[in-house]
Amino acid sequence: MALRLIRRLSTGTAPYFSLAIMLLLLAYLLSAATQDKSRLNDLFLIIFGIGLTCLLILAGLLTRGLWRLYRDFRRKSAGSRLTLRLVSLFVLLIVGSTSIVYGFSVHFLQRGINSWFDVEVEQALNDSLELSRSAFGIRMRTLLRQTRMMAGVLSELPDSSLGHNLRELNRLSGALELSIWNMDGRIVVSSIDNPAIIVPNRPDEAIVRQIKQGEDYIGLDPIEDEEFQLRAAVKIPRQSPLAEERLLHVLFPVNEQLSTLGKNVQDAYTDYKELSYLRQPLVTIFTLTLSLIVFLTVLASIWFAVWISRRIVEPLQELAEGTQAVASGNYNMQLTASGHDEIGFLVRSFNQMTQRLTQARNASQRSHRLLEQQTSYLTTVLGSLSSGVITIDKDLYLRTANVASSKILGINLQQRLESSLDNLARLNDNLQSFAMLIKNYTLKPVAWEQQLELSQIKGRQTLMCHGTPLPGKTGWVVVFDDITTLIQAQRNAAWGEVARRLAHEIKNPLTPIQLSAERLQHKYVSLVPADQAETLTKLTDTIVHQVEAMKDMVNEFSDYARSPGLQLEWLSVGNLLREVLTLYQSNPQHQFALLNSQEDLQIRVDRNRFRQVLHNLLKNAIEASEEAGLAVDIVISYHALRYQHQRWLEITVQDQGPGFPTEMIDTLFEPYTTTKIRGTGLGLAIVKKIIEEHGGDVWAENLGDNGAGIIIRLPLEDQQT
Amino acid sequence: MPVCSTTKRLMHLLCWLALPMTAQAMQFNVNQAQIYQIGSSYTVNANINYQLTPRVEEAIENGVPIIFFQTIQLLDRTPLLWDWWQWDKVIWETEIRYELRYHDLSKQYMLHSLDVENHRNFTTLASALNAMGNISNLTLPPAFTNTTDSTILRLRSGIDLTALPSPMRPGAMISNKWDLTSDWFEALWPSD
Repeated sequence: MALRLIRRLSTGTAPYFSLAIMLLLLAYLLSAATQDKSRLNDLFLIIFGIGLTCLLILAGLLTRGLWRLYRDFRRKSAGSRLTLRLVSLFVLLIVGSTSIVYGFSVHFLQRGINSWFDVEVEQALNDSLELSRSAFGIRMRTLLRQTRMMAGVLSELPDSSLGHNLRELNRLSGALELSIWNMDGRIVVSSIDNPAIIVPNRPDEAIVRQIKQGEDYIGLDPIEDEEFQLRAAVKIPRQSPLAEERLLHVLFPVNEQLSTLGKNVQDAYTDYKELSYLRQPLVTIFTLTLSLIVFLTVLASIWFAVWISRRIVEPLQELAEGTQAVASGNYNMQLTASGHDEIGFLVRSFNQMTQRLTQARNASQRSHRLLEQQTSYLTTVLGSLSSGVITIDKDLYLRTANVASSKILGINLQQRLESSLDNLARLNDNLQSFAMLIKNYTLKPVAWEQQLELSQIKGRQTLMCHGTPLPGKTGWVVVFDDITTLIQAQRNAAWGEVARRLAHEIKNPLTPIQLSAERLQHKYVSLVPADQAETLTKLTDTIVHQVEAMKDMVNEFSDYARSPGLQLEWLSVGNLLREVLTLYQSNPQHQFALLNSQEDLQIRVDRNRFRQVLHNLLKNAIEASEEAGLAVDIVISYHALRYQHQRWLEITVQDQGPGFPTEMIDTLFEPYTTTKIRGTGLGLAIVKKIIEEHGGDVWAENLGDNGAGIIIRLPLEDQQT
Repeated sequence: MPVCSTTKRLMHLLCWLALPMTAQAMQFNVNQAQIYQIGSSYTVNANINYQLTPRVEEAIENGVPIIFFQTIQLLDRTPLLWDWWQWDKVIWETEIRYELRYHDLSKQYMLHSLDVENHRNFTTLASALNAMGNISNLTLPPAFTNTTDSTILRLRSGIDLTALPSPMRPGAMISNKWDLTSDWFEALWPSD
């Protein structure tokens, strides 16, 4: 509680105002204590001591304040330079003005006090004192003579009549008191005019001593009530040398007027002398008091100057710090606005500025977020496009590329953003073709469209590329589609149509031809000579066989062209494969191996057509190996895999045959493509057709030195769905 | 009075702190003090030597009245730790005050006893001081002198600085030229 009170009193403006009030009080007390009649007079030293203590405390506080200021200045902390300048200015003003006032005050003080005293006045007072003494002196001399005469009279009288004669002399002389003393200070006899006084006035030891030395004494004696009397003492002449030495001590009155005048002169002289004597201490006291007050005022003012300077600079310092904070990006800075002056206005303006900056920044962040959202939206849209979309700046650097572009080109373009087309071209031949195409067409700022043939692992790939210049000639957007499948489909459709027509056109005359040939043989074999009958039979058999062969061929064409609805059903892939393989295991020279998948995969296919696929593939593989004179060793494997966010069933049929000729690998699945001596060239075309009908894909791969593989990929669906 | 004596003590302390090596200046001195038994009561005779510093003499010559005091105390002394530590209790105290001033016109020194309004003039300062220093037949109050076993009589004398004119007072209070107060002098009781 007390601590809090002290802290509260020692912060803010409270200490300064209390100090100011204390100083005023102290100054008042000091000035009161220097007044002559003041009750505080006795306390002057205490008040002065308190003042000195205050001075020391103030000096300490000030030293601390100035040291802090100096430290801040050395550290170059914000605002210290201005504070120091203000403080210096204040100190200069305070010290300058106060010094002048102080100097003049001290000067006037000394002159003022000294002006009370004047040489002429002093001389006049001395003279008046001398005059008074002279005036008394005339009377004193007369009285001394009178006293001597009385002593002479008394010396001749015997001791017994002394008392009586003394009273008589007292009466005659008008003295106040007559007394005879011996030199030891004992009284012999006395006569006192005033009956109220019993004991006579004793002469001073010094007077007695003087009398002993033979000198008579006459002197002015001040008495109570500031009056005077004259004291005379003379030695009474001895009648015989053995007689006791005695002195006559007489007190004479002084007339009232002379007494009053003498008193006035004495009082004035004493007062003047005392005042003159006290002049120096007075000046010292006044100067000390003045100095103390001045020093206190100066120190307090400087202290206040330091405080007020700091107070003035504080908002500026805050402003400076605030500005730095804003410069470093902290826009939330809000300063405490104080006062209604210009600095307060500045602080409020600063706060408004930071508020607006914050708002602007928030708006900018919002729009940035919006932009990011839009970009992300666009990226998602582009990513979900099946067409490849890339943008290229005017310097032919890749700026953006969507997922489909990487997929189509078979290279992760998103990892190669900011690369130049030249760099991309160096990656592989396809990209080189692609880059060359773009480079050629970007010479002119017009939209273009071009088809591009690329060779991929899976075969030939056809891209349709569209280029459009971006607004402001900032670059190009290139959209490209993989139209390989489309072209293939078109081709297949054309082939289907051809096959259908061929089958239709050829099949019709075949049966009559066959029948005619059989009839020819049957009818004429008996008619021709025996040696020719064999020839006839041979010829007609040939016709029949060839027609049969042509029928088969036409049927195959027909199969190829025919596309009835699929009878889809759920089948176990493993079972289906094993079922098909049992048909081929009758030949002991044929080796088959089935690598089962770890899980039992169910697939929804047309059982018969899928069997045909497998038969075609197995037949192809067996025939290829046999024709090359190699052992038939076929490995069939199947497994599930995840590709392009979808589950797929991949079935691989691998043989140890000679592999596919490289030049044929692109057109392997097209009709009439065959390496075999016998064969329609439709086997793989039918495989491809059926697989595509099931939404899958098929391609061929050569396996290094010997062997080849056909890979089928079919989409896997969840059985329940 | 207590405030002033506190101040004085404070100033003494300051002086002692400021001038630790300064030798003690001259001061008044109680030469002797004797107690006589007259009947059942006791009287005191004492002699004090007043030796003034030039500063004090100068003030007197310049018409400044100086107040002297003579303090006489009766103490009841209780020894707490033999002679090393004793508890003194003032049971009776009296103060005799004199004003000494110089009278220019008569060239005399006026000694004014403030307590009894007695007035004496002296031609020399020495005789005035001498007269002031003689305490004779001061009767002690019988109520406090019934038993003298543990009672101590002591006296001292000095200048009352608080009675000086105010401009002189601060200077006098911190100056050792004005601090002439004698040490306490303990008088001996007459042996029966």
